Amino acid sequence: MAAVPGDATDEMLMVRYQRGERKAFVELVRRHNRSIYNFVLRQVRLPSLAEDVTQDVFMRVVQNAAEFKHEARFLTWLYTIARNLCIDQLRKQSHRRHASLDQPQREQGDQSDAQLLGDTVADANPQASAERNALSSEVRSSIVKAVDSLPDDQREVFLLREVASLPFRDIAEITGVGENTVKSRMRYALDRLKDALCDFEEYARALR
Amino acid sequence: MDCEKFDRIVLDLLYDELDELTAAAAGRHMEHCARCRAIGSGLRATREVGTLPLLDPPEQLELRILQAEERATQLLPIGKRLGRGLSLLAGYAMRPQVSMAALLMLMIGSSLFFLRAQPGDREHVLVTERGVPESDNEVVTVLPKKLEAPAEAPRAAVHPAPSPRVEENARRDRVAEAKPEAAPMPAAAPQYAAAPPAQAQAARGSDGLGASSDDRELESSTEASSDSDASYDAAMAAYRDGRYSEAQRRFDEIASLGGAHAANAALYGAQALRRVSGCPTAAPRFEEVHSRYPGSVGSDAAWQAADCYRSLGELARARQNYEQLSADPSYKTRAKEAIAELDQRVADQEAAARKAAAAAAATAKGKPAAASAPAAKPSASSK
Repeated sequence: MAAVPGDATDEMLMVRYQRGERKAFVELVRRHNRSIYNFVLRQVRLPSLAEDVTQDVFMRVVQNAAEFKHEARFLTWLYTIARNLCIDQLRKQSHRRHASLDQPQREQGDQSDAQLLGDTVADANPQASAERNALSSEVRSSIVKAVDSLPDDQREVFLLREVASLPFRDIAEITGVGENTVKSRMRYALDRLKDALCDFEEYARALR
Repeated sequence: MDCEKFDRIVLDLLYDELDELTAAAAGRHMEHCARCRAIGSGLRATREVGTLPLLDPPEQLELRILQAEERATQLLPIGKRLGRGLSLLAGYAMRPQVSMAALLMLMIGSSLFFLRAQPGDREHVLVTERGVPESDNEVVTVLPKKLEAPAEAPRAAVHPAPSPRVEENARRDRVAEAKPEAAPMPAAAPQYAAAPPAQAQAARGSDGLGASSDDRELESSTEASSDSDASYDAAMAAYRDGRYSEAQRRFDEIASLGGAHAANAALYGAQALRRVSGCPTAAPRFEEVHSRYPGSVGSDAAWQAADCYRSLGELARARQNYEQLSADPSYKTRAKEAIAELDQRVADQEAAARKAAAAAAATAKGKPAAASAPAAKPSASSK
């Protein structure tokens, strides 16, 4: 079996996996399991559950590989699967009378988890790592809390934009709403985040 | 750009999803509008500082996923597994190496096919007068042994060969006669068609079948045709041996009796007559054959007649025949060439005649200069 080149697009890898090249799937998992895991984690909030859902996402890819159309975007397809599985999980959680998704984690007494996420941040954007390392743990914690406190529809748009780096057009396709609605939700999410950050010195420095 | 439009595109500007022109217009608007500048810088600062920290997934997660994939692949339903196998095969089939190999195989296969389509030894290749090899059908199915005999080459060298059309017609006639014999037994057809009548008879006798009434009828008709063949062959032999009088007599007999060989016999008879008595006698005979047997034999006869007219100096009649022949596709080119040659010949003749007339006039001028006085006398006397 031929080696998988690193510059192959996701769609090319998926086509090769459809033909039975397992290495292509391995490469796809390596590329996307981190962002999928973070997207799912911010939605379901429980790390162990996020692992299971992430695994389920890739299993859905395996089971439905034959249905993937070559002209479709792999990332759009992958995050559509991830979003649907997250919605399923959130629905199950609500049936079990777990906390409401709109309810901030702080109010649930799950502040330790939020702080843990803020303390163990990984770098989403390596180019800005120096600046990000300079951010205080307090700022990180505030960001996580602000994101967690977002309404579901705003949070999923924010995560798809910031974690998955998907363009607004693709987010609109995944969420099934118009592009202007997506931008509007994103604007609200950023405004909330701004409110959470405006008291910090880092924000004032960035504003200058 | 106004503030309303800026509000619509500010997120695209923030995430670099704008084209260059619109981004430049938005930048110019922010320079002049404090409100929009504040919105833009606020969102940019929020994005810079508020980047969501990402967690690394547990190390065993990737392994878990890959193990689950392996299990899931083994448990895939047969339909999906077959689809994947087909997709894999299709993927290999679409590779250029495979298509090149397929093309190579196709070339080799087609070469073998064409090689097999030309069986038999190629030692004897007959060519037409113009050096073009005769078609395969004629060589494979018809060639009688007599024509392949070594005497053929000297004959062709010594005697002017009849036109290819005549030979072709003779062969076609023989094939037409051989076909009815072969029709009831298609498997034996090539043997009968290619073998001389005697061999064909032997072959039919040895096939183990009883002689039915149909067979007897066939045999009687075959005997008649074999007699006709024999007399035609005898006439041809006389012609080839240079016994033209005998050949003419035999050909005339065959032509008068009619039958499959009548047309060719009439033409050969006229050719033999030309050998015996020359063109003045043969030309009307060729014309007669031409008028009696329309088609290829008639065209051949017209050609021969035109040839005779040329040799007799009757260029107008020759030209008339050539013009008629130019309507026949198989003679078109040759007839046009002959007409052009005739025209050239006529032009040469006319030029020669003019030159001779001019020379005569010059000679005549020289004489009257010397004898101008006597020439004036008659005019004076005429008054």
